[in-house]
Amino acid sequence: MSDVTLESITKAYGDDTAVDDLDLTIRDGEILGIVGPSGCGKTTTLRTIAGFETPTAGRVLFDGRDVTHVPPERRNVGLVFQSYALFDTMTVRENVAFGLEMRDVPADERRRRADELLELLDIAEFADRRPRTLSGGQQQRVGLARALAIEPHVLLLDEPMTGLDAKLKTRLRTEIGALLADLEVTALYVTHDQEEAMAMCDRIAVLNDGHLEQLGTPADVYRRPDNAFVANFVGTSNVLEGTITDGRLDLGFTELDGSFDASGDVRVAVRPENVAIGGPLEATVRQATYLGERTELVAALPDGTTVTLRANGDASYTRGDSIPVAIDADRIRVVE
Amino acid sequence: MQNEHSITMTSKTDTETGRTEAGSTRTTSNTGAETNTDETGTPDTETDTNTDTNTNARADGGTPANSTDDPWTDAGGSPSALLGRPVVVGVVVLTVAVLVVPIVMTFVSSFARTATGALPSGFVTLSHWRHVLGLGDYGVRANAVPGLTFSIAIATGGMVLNVLVGVPIAYALSRYDFYARDWVNTLAILPLVPGVVLGIAFLRTYPERGGSALGLIVGYCLLKSPYMVLTVQSSFQSMDLERLEESARSLGASWPRTFLTVIVPHAKQGILAGCVITWTLAAAEFNFTYMVHTGDPEPFSMFLFRNISNAPYLQSAAAISIYFCIVVAAILFLQLIGNRGFTTARN
Repeated sequence: MSDVTLESITKAYGDDTAVDDLDLTIRDGEILGIVGPSGCGKTTTLRTIAGFETPTAGRVLFDGRDVTHVPPERRNVGLVFQSYALFDTMTVRENVAFGLEMRDVPADERRRRADELLELLDIAEFADRRPRTLSGGQQQRVGLARALAIEPHVLLLDEPMTGLDAKLKTRLRTEIGALLADLEVTALYVTHDQEEAMAMCDRIAVLNDGHLEQLGTPADVYRRPDNAFVANFVGTSNVLEGTITDGRLDLGFTELDGSFDASGDVRVAVRPENVAIGGPLEATVRQATYLGERTELVAALPDGTTVTLRANGDASYTRGDSIPVAIDADRIRVVE
Repeated sequence: MQNEHSITMTSKTDTETGRTEAGSTRTTSNTGAETNTDETGTPDTETDTNTDTNTNARADGGTPANSTDDPWTDAGGSPSALLGRPVVVGVVVLTVAVLVVPIVMTFVSSFARTATGALPSGFVTLSHWRHVLGLGDYGVRANAVPGLTFSIAIATGGMVLNVLVGVPIAYALSRYDFYARDWVNTLAILPLVPGVVLGIAFLRTYPERGGSALGLIVGYCLLKSPYMVLTVQSSFQSMDLERLEESARSLGASWPRTFLTVIVPHAKQGILAGCVITWTLAAAEFNFTYMVHTGDPEPFSMFLFRNISNAPYLQSAAAISIYFCIVVAAILFLQLIGNRGFTTARN
């Protein structure tokens, strides 16, 4: 068992509250993603778990044990940074063995375990090189191997792939996701890239301004955003204003049937993929971005509201084109 | 006795040049070096300018169509692409020559019997070296070796003290954002005052201990500390200090261990540079030594001073050569330590 619980954590710097009364549990063996815009408190949360920040209020529990005031070196957490922060004065193998050395593991055992991890991360051939001579992706593998070598209670990843190029990122996240699942590592994955979080994490916590906006599986958060912020931050959403009366949603330019629970003035979120081409509504193309397999369109609805939608890449659109669209009423989510 | 010479050292040397035999020899050599510089310097610049304009004309007249068609790939025809490398090489060679020639000349001269002409002649004799070092029958003064050893020891002491004090200061200045940080920063650079000033301050504050070996070590440390702090600080600022430290801490290293096994080794180049600078400058520090030190053993700067002012050129050459040999040896030694030392892995 290795879980981490944050109990009403508050971290303030003077008048500035970075994290405000946050409750969060990282379950045993799961990868929990924290996403949010910069300054939302995600890095502060990570540093609080690592022990580099002492919360102004609240407790940090590892398996129910209070570690709030335990110094970082005695918490047994693995850290992986965006900037790698590898030790350039040592070889790759020495980097990976560093944590074991600090734990007074005998030299031959250190070497064996370091080599094992380097093998696992597919970087064994660089064992005797200096980290600086490796590519970004390889360096990040070294960083991960180094953090995993100490068999951490929790692995904390702070934007580990932000510096890497898109293709490598995609490959690495599949690989690392599988590896962490195999090793049954409990991990916290901090990123501003919601797509990365969706791909890597078992659950996602969306943070905004120090508050937890929503916590759930990637599908939950994507399909059933609790509020407009989550709807906008995770994926793209069209947020429209309307009125619900007797389960019918009146958007002004059209009325949609659906069993809406709420009533009165509301804001609803519609994903771009739930606005289909071909339907009763008349829209005017404002902007068309050709992306190869699809074209992303920004179109104005009859009342002037713009929505983002996606069209097949085969058809071509230009600004000013008139297109028929339909909104899938079943996929509309009331967010406010 | 040394009092009379010291302060007006330069002017005295100048006035003496015309009068004594040794003085005139020295002037010859000096002017020789200067003329060399001018001769090599002036024509070189001229050639550069000539070629520059020539190529410009050629490029403009010869291939106008090409350069307008494809401005990016035609870089080979531009003056900077054609001349950049030769000019850089030329400047480097010239600079090295200008800097090295006087040193080599001095060193070679120290083994010559006479130096009355443009070039020294009558090789090879060790008599000047022996004379300067006070060995054999030549010595005007007792053996100079203990004094040199003493100087090496106190310069090393100052350097070590500088590492112990300067590295933590540089670390604190780079790592932490604290109230009064700017003040500390200024205070760390403040000792860059002339040695005379610090010497007087020292003597007034510590009249008893000021002139002792310990006084010299502390004084050298203080006087040269800005060089250590500044070089190490720039080393620290060029790395992700905070993340490195956090990595090491999370892996189980306590703060002192992190500092010694991760932070300090990463600043190795800066510390080494700081050591070389502080050692060399401390070894030759004249003003401060002159102000506070009395009696034996004779520190290095006093030794140099005695052998340069009021001494024949060849004797000065030998004294200067000894200084260079010691400095080169010290630098090589420090680099050797730097390349081998600081290893962190114990396996």
